[in-house]
Amino acid sequence: MAETTAAPPKPSSSVKLVLLGEAAVGKSSLVLRFVNNDFQENKEPTIGAAFLTQKCNLPHRTIKFEIWDTAGQERFASLAPMYYRNAQSALVVYDLTKPTSLVKARHWVAELQRQASPGIVIALVGNKLDLTNEQSTEDPAIHGDDEGSTTETAEAESDGDARKISTKEGREYAEEEGLLFFETSAKSGVNVQEVFTAIANAIPETQMKGARGAGAAGGTQTALGAGTERVNLTGPRGEVGAKEGCAC
Amino acid sequence: MFNLNAIVQKAQSLIDSSAANHKPDSTPSKAEFFRLQFRLPESQSPLHEITAELSLSAPHSTRSIPQSNGEKARSSDKSDRGNTYIGKFHLSESFLCFSTQNTSFLPHSTLQASSAFTGQTHGAGPAGNGFTIPLCAIRRVERLQSQNALFALAITTWNGSIVAGKQATPANVQKFTVQLAGSRSACERFCDGLKKGLKDAIKEMESMRSVISQCYSEYLLSPERLAKIDSSQINSSKDPPDAGLGMVFRYPGDAKKLRDRSKMRLWGEYFRENGRNATLIRQPTFHKLIRVGLPNRLRGEVWELTSGSLFMRLQKPKLFEETLSKYSGRGSLAIDEIEKDLNRSLPEYPGFQSEEGIGRLRRVLTAYSWTNEEVGYCQAMNIVVAALLIYLSESQAFFLLSVLCGRLLPGYYSTTMYGTLLDQRVFESLVEKTMPVLWEHLVKSDVQLSVVSLPWFLSLYINSMPLVFAFRVLDVFFLEGPKVLFQIGLAILRMNGEELLDITDDGTFISILKTYFSRLGESAYPKSENEKTRGITRFQELMVTAFKEFSGITQETISEQRAKHKDAVLDNIESFAKRTSIRNLGPDSKRLSMDDLGFLYDRFYGILYEREQRMQLLREEADHRAKANKLMANEIVTGIPGNKSVEIGRVGLGPSPTQMNYDAFREFLTGITRWAVTDSPTSPRKDSVSETSSVYSGHSGRSRSLSLSPWGAGAEPTDHDFMQRLYGKWNIEDRDGLSLQNVVSGLAQVKGTTDLMSTISYFFDLYDDDGDGKVDREGILRISEALLFLTRRGLGGILTSPSSSANNANGDSDLSSTNIDERFLSSVSAFIRRCFEYADPDHPQHESTGTATSQSQLEDNVNAFSIGDDDDEEDLLDLGSGSPKSLPQSPSTPSSTAPKLHVDPSQKANPTSRKASANLALDPANPLHITLPTFRMVILADELLQAFFESSFPNSFHLSSTSSVSRTPTLSTFAAPNGLSSQLPLPAAGRSGGIVPPNKGLRGVLDNIVSDGMRVAGEVRKRMDEAQREMEKNAVSHRHEDEDDEDRAMAGDEEETDRRSVREADRDLLEGAEADAGIGSKGQMGQDELLILGDPGSPRSEKSPAEKLVDFEH
Repeated sequence: MAETTAAPPKPSSSVKLVLLGEAAVGKSSLVLRFVNNDFQENKEPTIGAAFLTQKCNLPHRTIKFEIWDTAGQERFASLAPMYYRNAQSALVVYDLTKPTSLVKARHWVAELQRQASPGIVIALVGNKLDLTNEQSTEDPAIHGDDEGSTTETAEAESDGDARKISTKEGREYAEEEGLLFFETSAKSGVNVQEVFTAIANAIPETQMKGARGAGAAGGTQTALGAGTERVNLTGPRGEVGAKEGCAC
Repeated sequence: MFNLNAIVQKAQSLIDSSAANHKPDSTPSKAEFFRLQFRLPESQSPLHEITAELSLSAPHSTRSIPQSNGEKARSSDKSDRGNTYIGKFHLSESFLCFSTQNTSFLPHSTLQASSAFTGQTHGAGPAGNGFTIPLCAIRRVERLQSQNALFALAITTWNGSIVAGKQATPANVQKFTVQLAGSRSACERFCDGLKKGLKDAIKEMESMRSVISQCYSEYLLSPERLAKIDSSQINSSKDPPDAGLGMVFRYPGDAKKLRDRSKMRLWGEYFRENGRNATLIRQPTFHKLIRVGLPNRLRGEVWELTSGSLFMRLQKPKLFEETLSKYSGRGSLAIDEIEKDLNRSLPEYPGFQSEEGIGRLRRVLTAYSWTNEEVGYCQAMNIVVAALLIYLSESQAFFLLSVLCGRLLPGYYSTTMYGTLLDQRVFESLVEKTMPVLWEHLVKSDVQLSVVSLPWFLSLYINSMPLVFAFRVLDVFFLEGPKVLFQIGLAILRMNGEELLDITDDGTFISILKTYFSRLGESAYPKSENEKTRGITRFQELMVTAFKEFSGITQETISEQRAKHKDAVLDNIESFAKRTSIRNLGPDSKRLSMDDLGFLYDRFYGILYEREQRMQLLREEADHRAKANKLMANEIVTGIPGNKSVEIGRVGLGPSPTQMNYDAFREFLTGITRWAVTDSPTSPRKDSVSETSSVYSGHSGRSRSLSLSPWGAGAEPTDHDFMQRLYGKWNIEDRDGLSLQNVVSGLAQVKGTTDLMSTISYFFDLYDDDGDGKVDREGILRISEALLFLTRRGLGGILTSPSSSANNANGDSDLSSTNIDERFLSSVSAFIRRCFEYADPDHPQHESTGTATSQSQLEDNVNAFSIGDDDDEEDLLDLGSGSPKSLPQSPSTPSSTAPKLHVDPSQKANPTSRKASANLALDPANPLHITLPTFRMVILADELLQAFFESSFPNSFHLSSTSSVSRTPTLSTFAAPNGLSSQLPLPAAGRSGGIVPPNKGLRGVLDNIVSDGMRVAGEVRKRMDEAQREMEKNAVSHRHEDEDDEDRAMAGDEEETDRRSVREADRDLLEGAEADAGIGSKGQMGQDELLILGDPGSPRSEKSPAEKLVDFEH
């Protein structure tokens, strides 16, 4: 910790991040939005896993995300340990319009909490916000033509509000388990950067691998002392994270 | 000349076989190898084989080059001789195959031959020269008159005239001669077999015709088309057959650059000389033409041919269309998953941006998911099928996909993807072996190879390499088999070896390879002076490396490595599955410990797995017999099942059953309870029972030879009403079977609580069939039966409880354990009596008179039949010695024989007079019921019953694996099933003498006598009761009907008072019970008074107490 003084070149470190969640919830699309600020309607399903990297600039440091985007189909689940091995952070994604995807997300959270490296920072992300009526306030331009959202009660369904999982449900579960929580739209870009920034902020500096390769020493190294970090991370870190802008 | 060759051949085969050192236990059966070698459908088996020389007449294969590698082809200088090959002829049910590779697949081969039967290819596929011709494609077989008395056949095929159906033009008559080498009788046998096969094959001509007509080669070589080219006529009646989406949306790559035209010409030439599609003969040129890449329009057809999917299509030409129409409109999970991916399968290919392409993809994937519901749909299949569809019609792609999933990529797309994981492990070990330096570096840098290589294998390089190159890999893959994937993978790493040694993390690893793949089309030596060298692309370099440098990687290598790593990989998958499954069992599972859950998981899937295997073995046994009956035993391979069939049902291998039917449930219970083990096993058991609990978790069970009894090596379960009820109760969703979740929830309710009251109400609910909170007379009797059933092997934990030990001290301490059982018996008797005593009548107007009388009468009767404790021993023993005769038979026997044994004829003599005075509680005309509070009260009134519900019952389910469940009493008692009756007098004498038998085995016998006696007694009583009711039914039926209406009218009013009275009684009894418990000796006495046992002087004294109840009615 002492050595990370604010020297002119910001300290940079890499963080392994793994994306998990049911098939077709938009894991790859979230990554694509984050990495390339792009969206593809028909993204090929991920076979095994895809690997991408992206830097995230925080005020005091730079974080290089090594993103493992995994396949979502149920039977690929047995491959997942290969990918979340040594991961310091995870994005567990569900589809706001599909209740089963939250069930699956819960399974993943449980799996990670028991099997992944201790101290892993987990963010729960409800994706496909663009299919619901609550268009984000940050980005009204994109869906300006979405009229009729004022009467959001009974006719919600017919208005194209496909939301099946309330924000409250997701948030409560996230709080219960001590996860970061976001609702995003990879299509419109809402909250995507915020998720990654929040994760970057939530990663304790002690856990950084520094230059890549230090992590090669094995999982034990990250495990040391990381167990206690978990506790500190829970609670208000989500809000804290969102404030610290990420200029990536 | 020929003879010499034969000798050389033979000598070589001997050398080969002695050099070969195979482990026979890990290899598939010969029949399986045979099918793999020639890519034949599952229905085929090797019937005959014979060494032979194949002579191809001129003008065959001017291109053919003399072979290296010991292949015996000699291209003759004389143009009229053509090529000759020495090899082996194989005949299956509907195929005639020839291969230059020395292989033998017949079961009766000599030892040497059988150890070498896998040949050089190890089932790799038709890499050798030769052919696989469906018998229906053979037009004529003539025996040639040969001057040197050799057995020679001239075979003419339908080549080229199958579709046209007319006389073949001389140009495409395909005729070759075969000289058989072997004894005359062997030759005759082979010919007889061939004759028979040819006759049977005639009926397959039609499907042959329809399939062949879809082959592009037929179109390519059709006289019309040739004529059209000649005359440049555009109006042709015949459209080319479907050769994939590429015909409409263009094939990937630049046709000119791929030199598609000249390839096409070469293939046309080859087909003309060596036959096409079904009648193609493989000569060295064939393999060469494939290595350089197939032309677009023939690619699909050659894939079909080399993979063998053509032969599958021949057998069931309409399967694809039929499957689609059969399941049209039906939905499934697989279909949902397929729909998700349709729009994202090779989206960059124009064909899959169109409805046409997507529709084809949907139909092929859907049809396959129906024909193989175990696999269903796996992501990556969409990409592979999309790629196939560029070159194949829907039906062709469908069959090729079947071959891929079933044979070429075994287990890749299964629900656990064990094949994928296994091959990753194999690949890693091959890298370690062939490139140790790189491997070490990867390990040191903590880079996991499979994160990179997994998609290569899973989607056959299709989404890793540019499409044109991926298809070139596929060309060879379909011909030479799975080893190609490994060879290419190794070559890729080799080509990038230098750079890869510098990497430190996954990221750079991936990006290096990404760059490499994107530059596959570039020159490998851009700086070379030589233009020709400059022209070599990186891809060509890769292929050369793969097949030259890594030519040592054979199918055999792969098989060996797979066998080596299989267990570890499966264990991994299984422990992952177990972890996940246990975690997702729902809230109920929290009430059981992790150990218990783990144990339940093992036990649950262990049982399912074992049952699957037994079924399989039984089926095979049946098959075997059926075949033997056909007197073909020596011709058909039956025995050795292939690796995969033996392990059906194993979790790690993919879809395994997850539902436990009632029989499996019974078997499951034998492992966790003692009472579920039958008293009368039907099959002798030689294995120790203890194995059942460990079979699954350890893999010891797999290699063990399984007994063919329907229950395997484990304890044989009994069947009882209680077990059925338990099954019904746990089966919440009312499906065909119990899931693990059901079992865990069910057990959590029994085991997961220490609350006496909830256990009691749980038990009550089991018998409350209609859920109205009432249990009727029948139910009460069944409960008492269940109590006896559950405790017939002793009460378990009660013995050690302080209260009972105190009682023991007070009572006859020297008979401690048996005494407990007897006391429990009387407790159950008392239970029945009390239940009836405090039962609520269903017909309220009887209450005033009915219950009062019944109560007093019942008590009268009780007193009348009560005897001292001294005598009840004898009673039981008498009964015990009488009943065991029926015991070693099936569980149902007691019910049928017992009444005969025990019913005193005098009882039946004057049933009516006694019936009149019988207590009303047992009168079927007075329906009654008990409610939960009553039940609870009755249980709590009896110390033993209370203890039973408090500890014995929940504890009778032994969970965590360390428990001593496995040592079921049956082991000691029934070690010799017939020994029981002979042992009987001994313990009986010991007991009447009041001596505690010191021997545990003896005690076990004793316990059984007592408990079985009780069980029989219960049965007798029940049957009697039923018989009685049956008899009385007619007598009372009239009165019954009359009263019914009034009853209903009055029921409402009476119910209130009714209930109150019960509560009062309840309270009294509860207080009484507490008092009893407080003063030990007094409680004991009180209990003794309640015993209803035989009257010492009565002639009926040898009957069990329960029977006395029956007597009341007479």
